[in-house]
Formats: sequence, C-alpha cells, structure tokens
Amino acid sequence: MKNPTVNLRDLVILVADPNAYARRITNGILRGFGANKVLEVEQALSLFQVLSSQKIDILLCDTRLPPHGGLMLTRTIRRNANNENRTIPILLMSSDTGESTIKNARDAGANIVVAKPMSPKSLYDRLAWIAFNPRPFIDTATYFGPDRRFKIEGYPGGVGRRKGDKQVEVAEEVGPGLAQDDIDNLFSAARKGQPDA
Amino acid sequence: MPNDAKHEATVFYADNRFERMARRQGGVAREQALENAQAHIEELKSDFAEWLEQEMQELRTAISQLEGHSSDMPSLDRAYQSCAHLHDVGATMGFELVTFVANNLCEILAAMKAGAPNDKDAIDCHIDALMLAKTEPYRHISPEQVPEMTSGLRRVGELVSIVPADNNK
Repeated sequence: MKNPTVNLRDLVILVADPNAYARRITNGILRGFGANKVLEVEQALSLFQVLSSQKIDILLCDTRLPPHGGLMLTRTIRRNANNENRTIPILLMSSDTGESTIKNARDAGANIVVAKPMSPKSLYDRLAWIAFNPRPFIDTATYFGPDRRFKIEGYPGGVGRRKGDKQVEVAEEVGPGLAQDDIDNLFSAARKGQPDA
Repeated sequence: MPNDAKHEATVFYADNRFERMARRQGGVAREQALENAQAHIEELKSDFAEWLEQEMQELRTAISQLEGHSSDMPSLDRAYQSCAHLHDVGATMGFELVTFVANNLCEILAAMKAGAPNDKDAIDCHIDALMLAKTEPYRHISPEQVPEMTSGLRRVGELVSIVPADNNK
C-alpha cells in the first residue's frame, strides 16, 4: 500500500525527549497528523511513572534520554518479562545516525529509528510503516523485540532476507552518519546466520 | 547452536493497539496531515528566535567555563547538550545551516569528551558560524549553498577531533 493514511485519533502517544523545544515540535507535528492524546516526558524516571500509571500505545523516544539513553531504555522495556508495555511499538529519534548506533537500536528492540532533525514526512511515513507492516515478536535468551528478519513489501524500501524478498541494499559506511533511507534499510536488512533473530 | 530450549526462539504476534487503531478508516489523509503538521511548525516559529538565542547563550556560557579547564566534564556535557539541541531543532524550523554547524561542533565536543585537546580557536570559529547562521541572510540557505564555509568547518573539525591513541578516558 502506497502512502497509507494513519489514524492517530484516541491513540495515547508518549514523547520522551530531554529537549523541551523538540518535544513541542514533535507534539505539534503529531497533532497535525490528528493525534489528540500526546503526553510528554523529559527523562526516564518520568517515563516509567507514566508507563506504570496508564496504557501507552506508542513511544517516541530520543536516544539521548537521561540518564542512560533511549537504547538502554528500550532494552529495559523489552527485557522485563513482567512489564505489560513490553510489546509497545518504540520509535527512536536519533541525531546520531552512525551505523553502529542504528544497529544497536535495532538490536535493543526498537521498531524503527527516525533521524533528527525530523521532518513531518519522515515521522508520518515511519508511523505508517509501523502500523501497516506488523511484525511478530521474537523471544530468545538474548533478544526480545520485533523480528529483525522481516519481509517487507514496500516502504521504506529496505528488504529482508527470506525467500521472495527483494535485494538487500544496506548503505556502505561512507561517513559518520546514515541518511534516513539507509537507516530504514539497515532496520529491514536481515542478519545472516544469527541464532537470536 | 546449542540444542537447548532456552536458546530456541519463540515467535508470536502481540495484540498491538497501535496497529489496530492506526489502520482505522477516518484518519487525516497523508498530504493533509503533512500540511497540518507544517502549519503547527510555522506557529512555533514565532518564538523560535528567542529559544535559539537562549540556547546559544547556554552554549556560550558552557564553552566559556571550559576555557583553561578542558577536562571539566560537566561543562563539556552542558555544551554538548546545548549544541545537540540546536542540531536537532534547527533544520526542522528551517535553519539548515544551524543544524550543520551545530553537528560539526557536536563532533568536536564529543572528541574532547573522548580526550581530544581543547582547541579554543576551533570552537570559537564554530560559535561565530552559528551566530552567522541564525542571521537573516543565512538562515534561509542550505549548507550546499556555502561550500567554502562548510568544507572549512569540516576540515577544522577533522583536525581538532583527533583523540590521542594513548588516551584512556
């Protein structure tokens, strides 16, 4: 499906970002998309307080969220077997788009990463991608999170490694940061021969 | 691979309210949603200049506290954080050059956190570039439109971001 419409009305969206102005921007963008229940926190303690007090439908979290960062937080949410929010979609927002950071985000259990600075388009299309490309969860001794070997039919252009999948095109390491398309490809690219995916 | 139950993967589909609800009919069509979001961003621009000035002031204060104390990690952290804020927000608000310069300065500060020496001139020239990038003639242009400036800043960044090999930080 090309350019599907995402309906965010009545979904509870939690934006976790230490930068107050960035939170305002993200909140404004989401409201432009039709969201009417957007919550904001600036650090992990507040985030866990919100998670323990109400149901959240999707988490948008900055990778620099204090005190330990969004990757650690994602790992914590995914690995706690008693956490009812263990399977919520997690979209990480990162200004560090180095390949190792993106791989670590994927391996921590994030659904996808959106590069900062964000544009409305980049956020909308990744929310749509999460909504319209459901993935099974994988539970192993070393990983809990969305299947990292998923097949993808369309957007955002990356592909898996299963029979019938298209050619994988992972960006070469040409610089310190990856473009958003390369991030998407890295997320959808499968890792070969790994027991934990 | 060990033939142990705990090493076997369990695959399951979780009930995902986001997926169910986001696919309902009646959402704001993509093009309209993008237009609405951009309108929200435009509304925020009225106080962006003030925020930008405050963040720049915090950056300058943290940088000034670094002078003579390059190992002052709290000041370095504050400088990096302010710089990262500028990077994260600049281009979204239409200030692409601010994002570019802030990104370059972030890399220099990150290298300092890793043990690279404090090069005052390099930092000062980035602060000057940020001051320039937020002014009216420059705020609307992209880094590609000022190649001499961007390549010069990149080169400065490369030169001062070398972390000594024997640094144990």
